[in-house]
Amino acid sequence: MVVKKWKQLALVMLVLALVTVTACSKDNNGEKASNSPSDSPSANASASSSSTTAKQTVPDGPTGKYDPPIELTTVRSVNAGVKFQAGDSLDSNVWTKDFESVLGIKVINKWKVSDQQYQNKMAVTMASGDLPDFMLVDAQQFQILVQAGTIADLTDVYAKYASELTKKSIEEGGGLRLKASTVNGKIMGIPADGGGRDDAHSIYIRTDWLKNVGLEPPKTMDDVIKIATAFTKNDPDKNGKNDTYGLSLDMSLFNGWSGLEGFFNGYHAYPFNPTKGTGTNLNFVKGADGKAAWADVQPEVKTALGKLQELFKAGAIYPEFSVIDGIKSGELVTSNKVGMAFGAFWVPTWPINNMKKDLPGSDWGIYPIVSADDKPVMAQSTGGLPSKYYVVSKESKHPEAPFILLNRYVDKLFSNFDQAYHSVDADGVNYAFHMYPPINGSFAEKNQDAAYAVQDAINSKDPSKLDTEQKQYYDQVEKYRAGDLSLWAAEKLWAPGGSFDVIGQYKKENRIFQSVFTGNPTPTMVAKGPSLRDEEVRTFTSIIMGAKPLDYFDEWVTKWMDSGGKDILDEVNSSGQIQ
Amino acid sequence: MIRRNWKIELPLHFMLLPGLILVLLFCYGPMAGILIAFQNFIPVKGLFGSEWVGLDHFRYVYGLPETITVFRNTVVIASMKIVAGLIAPLITALLLNEIGKRLFKRTVQTVIYMPHFLSWVIMAGILLDVLSPTTGIVNAVLDWLGVTKVFFLGNADWFPYVLVGTDVLKEFGFGTIVYLAAITGINPALYEAAVLDGANRWKQTLHITLPGIVPIIILLLTLGLGNVLNAGFDQVFNLYSPSVYSTGDILDTYVYRIGLGNGQYGVATAVGLFKSVISFALISISYFLAYRLANYRIF
Repeated sequence: MVVKKWKQLALVMLVLALVTVTACSKDNNGEKASNSPSDSPSANASASSSSTTAKQTVPDGPTGKYDPPIELTTVRSVNAGVKFQAGDSLDSNVWTKDFESVLGIKVINKWKVSDQQYQNKMAVTMASGDLPDFMLVDAQQFQILVQAGTIADLTDVYAKYASELTKKSIEEGGGLRLKASTVNGKIMGIPADGGGRDDAHSIYIRTDWLKNVGLEPPKTMDDVIKIATAFTKNDPDKNGKNDTYGLSLDMSLFNGWSGLEGFFNGYHAYPFNPTKGTGTNLNFVKGADGKAAWADVQPEVKTALGKLQELFKAGAIYPEFSVIDGIKSGELVTSNKVGMAFGAFWVPTWPINNMKKDLPGSDWGIYPIVSADDKPVMAQSTGGLPSKYYVVSKESKHPEAPFILLNRYVDKLFSNFDQAYHSVDADGVNYAFHMYPPINGSFAEKNQDAAYAVQDAINSKDPSKLDTEQKQYYDQVEKYRAGDLSLWAAEKLWAPGGSFDVIGQYKKENRIFQSVFTGNPTPTMVAKGPSLRDEEVRTFTSIIMGAKPLDYFDEWVTKWMDSGGKDILDEVNSSGQIQ
Repeated sequence: MIRRNWKIELPLHFMLLPGLILVLLFCYGPMAGILIAFQNFIPVKGLFGSEWVGLDHFRYVYGLPETITVFRNTVVIASMKIVAGLIAPLITALLLNEIGKRLFKRTVQTVIYMPHFLSWVIMAGILLDVLSPTTGIVNAVLDWLGVTKVFFLGNADWFPYVLVGTDVLKEFGFGTIVYLAAITGINPALYEAAVLDGANRWKQTLHITLPGIVPIIILLLTLGLGNVLNAGFDQVFNLYSPSVYSTGDILDTYVYRIGLGNGQYGVATAVGLFKSVISFALISISYFLAYRLANYRIF
């Protein structure tokens, strides 16, 4: 306990020291970087004077115009890859002009530094206390600012000023991004990335093998086990040799290729702790007492491990799985030795992308994961937490203005698409206008929507409604169907029966599981996570291989609790970031 | 007299200078980084801006449950490697030395030297196939001989020996060349005298060749002792897996998994410093022993 407190204190000290020290040492740098013509004391002065004007009209919803115009300060990171046409800059471009004329918002960049230095410069700014109206910060800085209480609570302005489309971009994908931005029930930031749920697993099965052993695609986990066993014992490749395995697995245990997530999900278990992962990206479920509990120690995990142990014993899993990595397990599959694997949406692009071409007669089907009983199965997703947030200063006179900008951004690029705001190719250079605005939004379901659009176009044979990117996918699918087997992956991604079709079913039926803990790794997770991860991987591996009895699981659970697990749970439950 | 020597030696000292600068720059300069072991090091804040934590990292590593096991693994594996890595090339060199046919000798020398140039990533890929219980050639031979198949890379009991064996396989060619070079340095007159005295090949080896290369053996052993805590990160990292952590995990791989994955630079440096201190003590002891037992001096 003493150690824990000490560590917390150390963390606070570290953060404070970080902020102050960088502030002192980087001051000169800061002056240089902010030496832009638009940044002068008068700009700040006029900002405050204009906002105190009595007869100001302001938007009272997602759209509208400030009149007289307001000034909104921010800071920018400059990406070397973003090119400007003559006369354009981050301070003056198609977007700034649009914001000024249409919205009445003049965006002022207080400083601009290269994206490599941005994080440091941001720390200096945070320490100086002179925050711009809004800014982009990373997850750690977000937490510091929340604790320091220097950023605005956006709950009300979000409800009032964010447009439907903006809300969609933020909440799409199960709303995890918004939950991660919410601390103790208050929206403290606008998530700048994250939100994807496409890592949810599907079952990939060799359809030609299924036919050879006379089985149907699985409806339950028992079917999965039956197929795995048949693929092992009934000579699915008809070569007369007992040289095949039913289920692909490698030392990673949890992975987008050959991972066990989908298998565990079938038994309503949601463990996640890859062998070569950080050991800090853990899944938490809500226990019966309403508190967060660690997913990996739940009894359902034990049930699933028992089934894996049986599969291993039956020879359905490669006996050397514990020493091979994903590349090797991929080779086993492509060399016609393994007929089933759990995996994320990208599996058709690797490792099985060339099999149909290289191994005549072979083909893969993609099926939704199945349940072991009559309870509906949930597919777990772990990749959705944002790493960056836009935050608004508490001092800002117009906390709603960033939303007005964001509304305009998503409208121009995702609703009423205007190429003049997106990009232009001139003299062989791509000018990416969409990178210019100080705030931007994205849609986590972009690929999913593309898949739906392509599927509609295929069914109606009418690609006219597709955008450029979607049309490209459509063309690839058409080409594959015309006989170009090298584009097999496009068919299995975008077309009906493809991986996005399967994941789309989960999403529609709300069958995606996400950890109930949306915060950053806690101090004990960082300190003990890797060591605990090794112990877990060792336990799971030896149970599957039968080197340890299934009941060893319970022993491991107790051990986990005693060697740091309890502290982790305490930290998680007191974080205020439980969904 | 002294002055004239100085004049003659001055250019030689200048020739030494680039090497000296390199050593200062790349061996002594980075030693300042030792400070990181006592800090909560944050790259952004630099060496002098980070917070001091005293011996906290050492306590943290000492308190980790696996540290003792990992330390024992490291010493056991490294000691076995030093012994095996001494005997195998020595015997090979003595045997090759007895071979009269130049072409054969050279060919063998080159062939056994080749694996030295392969990186462990490639070696690991090859070994994974060669040692596989289902498809590997080694187990096929064992099976043919009627011996039970062994899961070399997945069995914790076997894994340390696999490490030693494969390390010898990869490096003994290199050691052989060193010993062969030492053997050629022995004065042929000694052999002629021995033949006149009626010594056969075995007696010649025992009483001329071996004593002749004792300084080299001691030198390599001395240098090797300093590596007792370096059990070979590249090799272990590419060959091990969770099921052999209990016997195959060494300090370097352990720190890599625990520390670097989460940016705990302080912990990694603390272990590095600990290793250096132990190695320094060991080198001092072995040098003292070498001086006492074989009257051998490096300096």
